Amino acid sequence: MSFLIFFIITLFIAGIQTVIPFLVNRAIVFGVMIPEQHIEDDSIKKFKKHYSMIVGLLSIVILTSYIGWTFSNARQDNEVALAGAIIEFALIFISLSFYLYYHGKTKQLKQQNQWVEHLKPMKVTDLSVRKQDEMLPWYVYLLPILSTIGLLIYTVLNYDLLPDQIPTHWGPSGEADAFTVKTPFSSVQLSLFLLIMQLMFLGIHIATKNSGIKLSATALESSRNRQLTLRKSSSWFLYIVLLGATMLMSYFQLTTIHPEIGEGTVKILIPFSFLILVLVGTLIFAIKVGRSDKEIAQSVEAQIMDLDEDKYWKGGIFYFNKNDPSIFVEKRFGVGWTINFANPIGYLIVFLPIVLIILISVLA
Amino acid sequence: MIIRIEGESDIPIYTQITNQIIEGIARGEIARGDSLPSVRAFAADLGVNMHTVNKSYHELEKKGIIKIVPKSGAIISPTEQMSEEKMQQIFTELKPVIAEALVSGMNKKDIRDMVSSILEELKER
Repeated sequence: MSFLIFFIITLFIAGIQTVIPFLVNRAIVFGVMIPEQHIEDDSIKKFKKHYSMIVGLLSIVILTSYIGWTFSNARQDNEVALAGAIIEFALIFISLSFYLYYHGKTKQLKQQNQWVEHLKPMKVTDLSVRKQDEMLPWYVYLLPILSTIGLLIYTVLNYDLLPDQIPTHWGPSGEADAFTVKTPFSSVQLSLFLLIMQLMFLGIHIATKNSGIKLSATALESSRNRQLTLRKSSSWFLYIVLLGATMLMSYFQLTTIHPEIGEGTVKILIPFSFLILVLVGTLIFAIKVGRSDKEIAQSVEAQIMDLDEDKYWKGGIFYFNKNDPSIFVEKRFGVGWTINFANPIGYLIVFLPIVLIILISVLA
Repeated sequence: MIIRIEGESDIPIYTQITNQIIEGIARGEIARGDSLPSVRAFAADLGVNMHTVNKSYHELEKKGIIKIVPKSGAIISPTEQMSEEKMQQIFTELKPVIAEALVSGMNKKDIRDMVSSILEELKER
């Protein structure tokens, strides 16, 4: 079971890492802004192809060795899991290294060819673009939040039914494998974490909605399509994952109160379906958004370009822009969002809940 | 309506925003009674400081072109009766521009042609 889960996740990471250069915003190459006039440049095409080939090949080597290693001897389940975690990190590290290498090369190419020297930088927006935004409304989050509050109340009412040992962690097969002594607090701890997570997701949703819809002066229609697709799809994806997580954790909480409902195959099936939901969701999301700005033909106005914002992007990965009130902006390398590190509200939404959960688990 | 801001222009960004919104209304791309995006949304979409957009909205309000209603945002005001005062204001703003054009070597016909072509351009939708 461990092998299957780690293999699927790693295969998934490898696949996404390999094709990222073809899924990102068309005007951003390895985290570097390239004016519309030059995105079809041969060297750029070559960089993208080489990156994908190297990362793809190394992924195949790593995954084959993982299969070989696992089945060459009778391995313990926890050994397989540990090795799985190591190869996942190795893969991310490898693709990040090659990303940084090509980030440097692309930057150099842009400078040497003076691609931005004679173009007039422009910023553009459409006053009616907000009306086209189709993100989910915030109040849909009330459904999972109210359900968790219900679960909390139900747990308190059934305090006597709870076992003396409250499970705090579950293994990949859906079996509880870590416990703590029963106290009024530990009995609701899981539901409380779920509630914090839901509030965090709601915060992320609202902050995303308030963040800028960034249009490109040289590719107005395709950038509009990409931004609107990204916003709509990510709001659905976030919500569906939250619903899945709510069901999963509510199920764990209910089996603690009523052990009889957690017997049989459901025990494995529920966590596994959640994993599949997240992976398939990510895949659909990445492809949908990745294609959204590649299909509309552009006619390039000769002498203009988008304002070059490379200076706000450290390494093409971390965004610091004091003037931009956006809390989240579209990632440069990858599909999705990244936080504007110059905006303190972002830290509050993303890091406070995590710190809170860690503090509670350590102190309780 | 599409707003285009030049990044390296001598004209400050808030003035560019103000001018383009006024032109947009003149051209009929935004109708009277329509609302403009909130200051936060507009600034985020353009990736500029909120003060910049705020400054432009206040300038527009001072000119009587928009009305800032707390909570519902900025709404384009309905056509006002042309007041003597407003006419006088536009006169004092236009006069030095025309004088500058004459000093720079344009003749009267050039200036008339230029004004007609601007009027023509603003009529287009």
